Amino acid sequence: MPNKNGTVYGLTILSPIIDDEQATPSHDLQIRKYLATLPTGEQSPFALAPGTHLARLVVMDDVIYVGMPACEEHLKSKYLVFESNCDGELDNYLAGLAASVPEHLDAIWSHCVGYPGAANQQAFIDYMKACQLETTFYFAAVNDKSVPETLRALQTQHAVADFIADHQGMEPARLQTEFARFVAELKSAPVPRPGSMGQPRSIKTGGRNE
Amino acid sequence: MSNINGKIYALNAITPMKPWKTLVLRGFFFLLGHIKPLQQDLINLSFIEFARWVVLPRRQFPFLGNGQVKEELQYDYLLFFSNFNGTWNQYIDAFSAVLSKGLNLVWRWSEKFPGAVPVTPFKEYIARVQFDTDYYYTAYPHAAANDLKSAHIVQASLDSLSQRAQACTPEQFADAYLRFVLEVQAHLGETGEAPIVF
Amino acid sequence: MSKLNETDIQGFVLRGYNLPVARYFFLHFEDAARARMLIGRLLHHVTTGQLWDGGKPESTVNIAFTQQGLAALELPDATLLSFPVEFQQGMKKRAGILGDTGLNSPERWDELWRDDRVHAWLGINAQSPAALDHRCAAMVELLEETGGAVALAAQEAAAVVIDGKPTTREHFGFTDGFGNPDYLGVGRSSQPGQGKLLPNGSWAPLATGELLLGYADEAGELPVAPMPHILASNGTFMVYRKLHQNLATFRAYLDEHAALYGGGKEKLAAKFIGRWRDGTPLELSPDNPDSSIAQDPNRSTNFTYGADPEGMRCPIGAHVRRVHPRDAFGFNGKLIDRRRITRRGLPYGPFAAEGEPASDTEERGVIFMALNASISRQFEFVQQQWIEYGNDPHLGNDKDMLMGNHGGRGKFVVQGDASAANPPFICSKLPNFVELRGGDYFFLPSITALGMLAMGLVDPR
Repeated sequence: MPNKNGTVYGLTILSPIIDDEQATPSHDLQIRKYLATLPTGEQSPFALAPGTHLARLVVMDDVIYVGMPACEEHLKSKYLVFESNCDGELDNYLAGLAASVPEHLDAIWSHCVGYPGAANQQAFIDYMKACQLETTFYFAAVNDKSVPETLRALQTQHAVADFIADHQGMEPARLQTEFARFVAELKSAPVPRPGSMGQPRSIKTGGRNE
Repeated sequence: MSNINGKIYALNAITPMKPWKTLVLRGFFFLLGHIKPLQQDLINLSFIEFARWVVLPRRQFPFLGNGQVKEELQYDYLLFFSNFNGTWNQYIDAFSAVLSKGLNLVWRWSEKFPGAVPVTPFKEYIARVQFDTDYYYTAYPHAAANDLKSAHIVQASLDSLSQRAQACTPEQFADAYLRFVLEVQAHLGETGEAPIVF
Repeated sequence: MSKLNETDIQGFVLRGYNLPVARYFFLHFEDAARARMLIGRLLHHVTTGQLWDGGKPESTVNIAFTQQGLAALELPDATLLSFPVEFQQGMKKRAGILGDTGLNSPERWDELWRDDRVHAWLGINAQSPAALDHRCAAMVELLEETGGAVALAAQEAAAVVIDGKPTTREHFGFTDGFGNPDYLGVGRSSQPGQGKLLPNGSWAPLATGELLLGYADEAGELPVAPMPHILASNGTFMVYRKLHQNLATFRAYLDEHAALYGGGKEKLAAKFIGRWRDGTPLELSPDNPDSSIAQDPNRSTNFTYGADPEGMRCPIGAHVRRVHPRDAFGFNGKLIDRRRITRRGLPYGPFAAEGEPASDTEERGVIFMALNASISRQFEFVQQQWIEYGNDPHLGNDKDMLMGNHGGRGKFVVQGDASAANPPFICSKLPNFVELRGGDYFFLPSITALGMLAMGLVDPR
């Protein structure tokens, strides 16, 4: 199924935005306004909810006219595009979003046609699936690692580089002891938060410079 | 609004296609999905984290009733979403330089596509059909696709050494540790801020 | 492609003069009419790309202009605005993009470069100090006679002299000047390893348009250039950077880390650069320098990295591998063909041989001048992506060991193998071995364009 590549799911959703001449500002502008100040780092709804590697939200105003001799045509609705690259099965992922950040979902999608709210999880999932497009071709550079596995690996990589640099030329017995301590500490360290710029040095790597 | 978050750029593009051409394009994507060497170029380019093409036939835009007006379109549309590292220019330069044949096969069915070479008309076309991202999230703003791959290599290597380490004599450990360093030595790049986009 | 008109191209573009001494004047125009008169008079002096049938001249003269300089010459606004953005902005405003921050930031540059008074670069190269003085005196006389410009400063530069002979060494002791690309129609003989790599493993000259405006480039189109074409054609852009070298810091760092490194000091020094100090490429001779390779033009640049993906011979982050990655990024090197630059320039300041005392504070370094058709696509890309960043070689944020603006952080990994003489090794807490002291972006016009500037005959378009 082209929506999946390995264990990664490529979710593409186009939600029609409510076209209401009475609304000021219009619903698409209200979505844009909300998204403009929505946190993108550790406080992002996608960081607070589980399973998102990368995601974007885009108001698609219209199709684009490429010039003569192509025909000019326009959409009747504007659409909110939700493109997500996430872990696992779609229902679980959507349920996780609905459970973790319902207020953000409602603030964004309440401007879309037929949105039932995130409180009713099944209705939310059904709605999202009704707006879903089948991906024709999906590429993932890494397709077999979850978000927490990746965050941990990044932490490990950083700590390992420091450990190696700090233990060059150390005699074997001491190196082995230091290594055991390093691994234990790394294992017990909390997984870094998604959406952050990486951990401040919390793992002590020991060695001659510390 | 920004297409950029840390080391990642979000590109959205939409191009019109005459409906009969959609079938040909689907055939090409079917092949691309089933012939591994074709995908290898994308992997080797190494600065794309995720990318997708979505063929959107003119009568299959999501329709939910509730007062929504049905679309009446002559063209099918090809949507392209890419998550890449580096600058817009760098990305399109590289695409044009090494993937022009593949790109032509994907987009030649779109109206007015000028071809991926030479690069300036290609860039003008992409700029024209690109629409901007309102909100962009990444769990790893400080890491590029290469950094992610390197990190997983280091993690696997470390896990394997730490499983063996306890049972080793110090001399055996020193030897295993050297092997470990050799395994990870090309994968220790620092993560952090991206350069300024220009 | 058609034969280049060498009489229309400044000689500095087509060849490294290989003259041992130089002085670069930085001019300020005070009056457009008088400045144009000066350029008109200079036209007779400017060295073109014509072959030197009668042997090398005693001295050469070349000229290039900043955006402020072209504005001071009263080029039409429509023409000025047709120049590429990075040229219009000048190098100082590009500091963030280039990573010229911290120790390299413009507020720390030499006073000459801190405001925008430099309008032109007047470069004199010569066979001897006497010939240099002689030609420079003539130039100064011309400035005074016409009142066309004041010389704000003059930068001396000279090849390092060892045992009485000018060499291609730089102050850290490495042999320099291997890396310039060949271009179609430009070189008289091309050297394997200097152009672009072809799928069959041979080398061919790069498209002329990677160096000169008005010719097809590697993307199969004319490079972005100012209008009208006749102003741009046969011209190019020049990046000028004064790079100070912290010699004492370099020596101390090398000594300190060599003590921990199993391969020895000279090998560690070679790993930093990718060449032994005599120029032998590590890729061809990883265990020891070999002057028979270094001095053979058919071998000294004739190598690739494809068989060394893990950097066990030449580290992935070694300077020469970063700035000229050859096939290291796959695709037969196709990804780098539009990122090449041509380097000119010479060291400045007193040479201190290994063992002689040296400090960081002495004025000493290299005048880096790079020629390219597009400063943003070529020089700026190399500086940002390959010197100050490491994603292309899969090195994350690691910077170029030698040139990087490290500020005491960062690291350089020397990849190794299981042998005792070539161990893996990490150099961390990197100081700035090189610091930027100023510079700018220049337009180096053709002889025709110089004539148009002198006559005030550039039509807007």
